[in-house]
Amino acid sequence: MAKGRELKGRIKSVENTRKITRTMEMVATSKMKRAQDRVVAARPFANSLTEVIANLYTPELAESFPLMRQPAAIKKAAVILLTSNRGLAGAFNANLLKEARILLARLAEQKVEPELHVVGKKGIGYFRYIGRAVASSRTDITGQPTVANAAELVDGLIQRFGSAEIDAVYVIYSKFNSALSTPPTSQLVLPVTPPERKGPQPDYILMPSAEVILTQLLPLYVRNSIYRALVENEAGFQSAQRTAMKNATDNAGEMLNVLRRTFNRARQAQITQEIAEIVGGASALQG
Amino acid sequence: MLKVSVISPEAVLFQGETESVIAPAYDGEIGILTGHAPLMALLGDGELRLGGGSGRRFNVSGGFMQVLNNDVRIVTEKATVAG
Repeated sequence: MAKGRELKGRIKSVENTRKITRTMEMVATSKMKRAQDRVVAARPFANSLTEVIANLYTPELAESFPLMRQPAAIKKAAVILLTSNRGLAGAFNANLLKEARILLARLAEQKVEPELHVVGKKGIGYFRYIGRAVASSRTDITGQPTVANAAELVDGLIQRFGSAEIDAVYVIYSKFNSALSTPPTSQLVLPVTPPERKGPQPDYILMPSAEVILTQLLPLYVRNSIYRALVENEAGFQSAQRTAMKNATDNAGEMLNVLRRTFNRARQAQITQEIAEIVGGASALQG
Repeated sequence: MLKVSVISPEAVLFQGETESVIAPAYDGEIGILTGHAPLMALLGDGELRLGGGSGRRFNVSGGFMQVLNNDVRIVTEKATVAG
């Protein structure tokens, strides 16, 4: 029963694989919940900041802020691409890289010189593979990104944007709409697009003045966009990994069903054959 | 009573009601009581004190405070709970 033993081995191996993928699914689920909590926890800050900037902003002021400067011609643009350090997350990184390719192609069409800043091993690996130089790359941003991480990523760019060395900054990340919807998104973070004001401008006492406050808050706003991108990307990654592992577990289950059926059929066939042989042998003796 | 929330990028550190707020503005401390006019102030480095029943303290650095209709919002990148 050589075939039977072979099948038994495969059943065992698929069972073990399913155990691993199921564990990974559960790990990703709990990590996703925590990452999701962080996305939710980051919202009040972002909302308050957006609201205040919307309240203080007036078009007349825009001219005086380097971070709101609308360059006449964009010559150089920085692209921050967020990917994950680990794989086993289905098309998560592939989608982000595709979004990056689309953006880079669009920039090339507009004769803009792009400058790539890549976060995460998967993105770095891809650009090394296609032989494209990146301006900076980092892999040390963990599953719990901090405001400090965001600051490290973008502070230099804010400064260079201020001194007109670069004319635009994009960030590519997977937006976390819900656990099931994490579309890759490219977002323009610099120049700052002033958020729309809801309702009339409240008559604030300003200390010291709208101009000074905005000068202080705009870098905060840019940093926060990057922080949110980091946090949402992480949540997106965990949910993609969860989905991928769930699919793997389900597929392993289906595979097991087929294998078990084949194994049982082979065993039954053998038993049937043995009985036939015995019956045949007995009737030969009688006859 | 004032509705107060202390918000950092990572979390809402405090949300509740107090009688007064003393915040370290960029040029010195500023006190807020119920019925304060709408205010938007830059913060400097220092201790944020929430008076009244809870008596909580935070160390803040930068950010801003917004007062609107007895709703005080302290939004800062660096805030830690002080003893």
